[in-house]
Amino acid sequence: MPLLSKQSKNTIVDPLMANNPIGLQVLGICSALAVTLRIDTAVVMTLAVIAVLCISNTVISILRSMIPAKVRIIVQLSIIASMVILTDLILQAYMYDISKELTVFVSLIITNCIIMGRAEAFAMQNGPWKSFLDGLGNGMGYGLILIAVAFFRELLGSGTIYGFQVIPDSFYAAGYENMGLMTLSPGAFIILGLIVWAQRIIGKVEPE
Amino acid sequence: MEHYLSLITKAVFVENILLAYFLGMCSFLAVSKKVDASIGLGFAVIFVLTITSPVNWFIYSFLLADGALVWLGFPDVNLSFLKPIVFIAVIAAMVQLVEMVIDRFSPALYQSLGIFLPLIAVNCSILGGSLFLVERDYNLIESTVFGFGSGLGWFLAIASMASIRYRLRYSNVPLKLRGVGITMLLTGLISIAFMSFGGIQL
Amino acid sequence: MHNNRYTIIFTTLITMVLAFVLSSVYSSLEEITEANVQADIKKNILTSLGFQPSEEIPWSKENVEAIFNESVESFVIDDLGNVIPDKFPEDIDPKLNANFFPLYRKVIDGTIEGYAIPISGKGLWGTMYGYFSIEPDGATAKGITFYKHIETPGLGAEVDKPWFQQNYVGKKFVDGSGNLIGIQAIKGKVDNSSTESYHQVDGISGATMTSKGLNNFLLKDLRTYNSYFEQVRRENKG
Repeated sequence: MPLLSKQSKNTIVDPLMANNPIGLQVLGICSALAVTLRIDTAVVMTLAVIAVLCISNTVISILRSMIPAKVRIIVQLSIIASMVILTDLILQAYMYDISKELTVFVSLIITNCIIMGRAEAFAMQNGPWKSFLDGLGNGMGYGLILIAVAFFRELLGSGTIYGFQVIPDSFYAAGYENMGLMTLSPGAFIILGLIVWAQRIIGKVEPE
Repeated sequence: MEHYLSLITKAVFVENILLAYFLGMCSFLAVSKKVDASIGLGFAVIFVLTITSPVNWFIYSFLLADGALVWLGFPDVNLSFLKPIVFIAVIAAMVQLVEMVIDRFSPALYQSLGIFLPLIAVNCSILGGSLFLVERDYNLIESTVFGFGSGLGWFLAIASMASIRYRLRYSNVPLKLRGVGITMLLTGLISIAFMSFGGIQL
Repeated sequence: MHNNRYTIIFTTLITMVLAFVLSSVYSSLEEITEANVQADIKKNILTSLGFQPSEEIPWSKENVEAIFNESVESFVIDDLGNVIPDKFPEDIDPKLNANFFPLYRKVIDGTIEGYAIPISGKGLWGTMYGYFSIEPDGATAKGITFYKHIETPGLGAEVDKPWFQQNYVGKKFVDGSGNLIGIQAIKGKVDNSSTESYHQVDGISGATMTSKGLNNFLLKDLRTYNSYFEQVRRENKG
């Protein structure tokens, strides 16, 4: 028996491209863009979101029949918020330098619409294993876009990829300059706009 | 006074909570399709940010910060790791309270603002505002001014975006760029315009 | 489906469980986090005293700790410049003891090579934090670093950049007759032929408020430590 059934595989693969939470459902970019100045912060942020999303989806799914409907939202919110605090504490203890740069943006994962959205739309209706996979898939889809934005901003803005200089010095000598705009916030909006555009052309998705 | 003016200018223009810190994007993208709704939501954000910022400042300074519980006789307790969860709870409760108060005293205002209030509890800009004021060590007045300024900045951003999208109906945007794509590109342009207030350096 | 009593019991239970999980994780990780914060402070002090990480010795937590313990002496002085025996910077809480100040001294093979003091104050947008280091003569700047600030990128945030920090090296913060005058970041470039240039550095264009704030709090912090460095200067002359 394969490790994942076809359906489970779709739960993971779907959100990566065809049903990407950022690109198509336009969820969760709030806390995302501010950390896309460099790839390493984007990667850590992605891992944090995947962790929170997987755990909160699983926990909410296990508790789904026990959660009273009236206080459903607030219970989901407190589970998510606790997972976020846990992630933040772990980052502070084991990846202090990066957590110092992510500052408040880790805490802001709480209000990341993807997490609430997946809890409400998926975890409340499905079993723990499927919810876990759903969290994994959506987290990775989110990270894909985040890291793509960070890749272009770091390459064009600082001439490096993951901290390594890739634009040769001879380019700078010949008059090439890093694009300062990319390091400022407008750069993130423009890159994300272009990525969404490209994704819709490739993905053949009809716009709204 | 000068200090507070500079704080407001900064919160509204240079470090606009939406355009520079990307907070509150979800509702920004969804609601800016309609001008009326954008203005309504914008006012609601100003309102809620101005109220929750000082309230969360009080809670943080007297309950959560390192040594804040000294008035209860626990000088060594540091609960600051709880701030995200406490802030979000305070925000949700405040929004609920504001909703009830408005409903009771001004039904007309409730008609226009009421439907947006529940949306706001999970708007990142509100939680972001509270987290920033802790991060930046603001005092009570600075927090209130900062909250108001951030709200005003958010309002300006969504109102201008809604008006641009309104005009956009008459232009021929490439099919696949319509919707999120073009909105993002435009947000980038507005963001550049706002940053020029601080003197942009490329 | 669920009645009110169930709802209340359920929410109470879940709150207690979450609170328990959070506090236990917090208390078990607190020590590591505190160690990280301390290592970060030490790293900043080392940078301002002119230490550099290298390929062979990257700045891991252990290496920072080792270099710091080997070459830096830390102690506490009061507002009159007297060294308080048996007190260390970790012990003082700035809220409770307003008259005690931390001071760090770089000592290599028994020779004092410099001092570092913490500096902090308002820039344009918020408080800036850093270290200012002083040559053994007690009158010349050895370096300046910042580890936390929220100044405008490209403008005030240039205080982070080597070109700005390099300007401070070798400048004097006392005048010929021994009065404390601080070091001023001025508008535009320093005119090297001017008699005032020994205590001036190039300002950051477009960031007047940041420079002004920095000038003010640097002078303020130097004044706090002045009685100590007066002694250092006297000993050097004599």
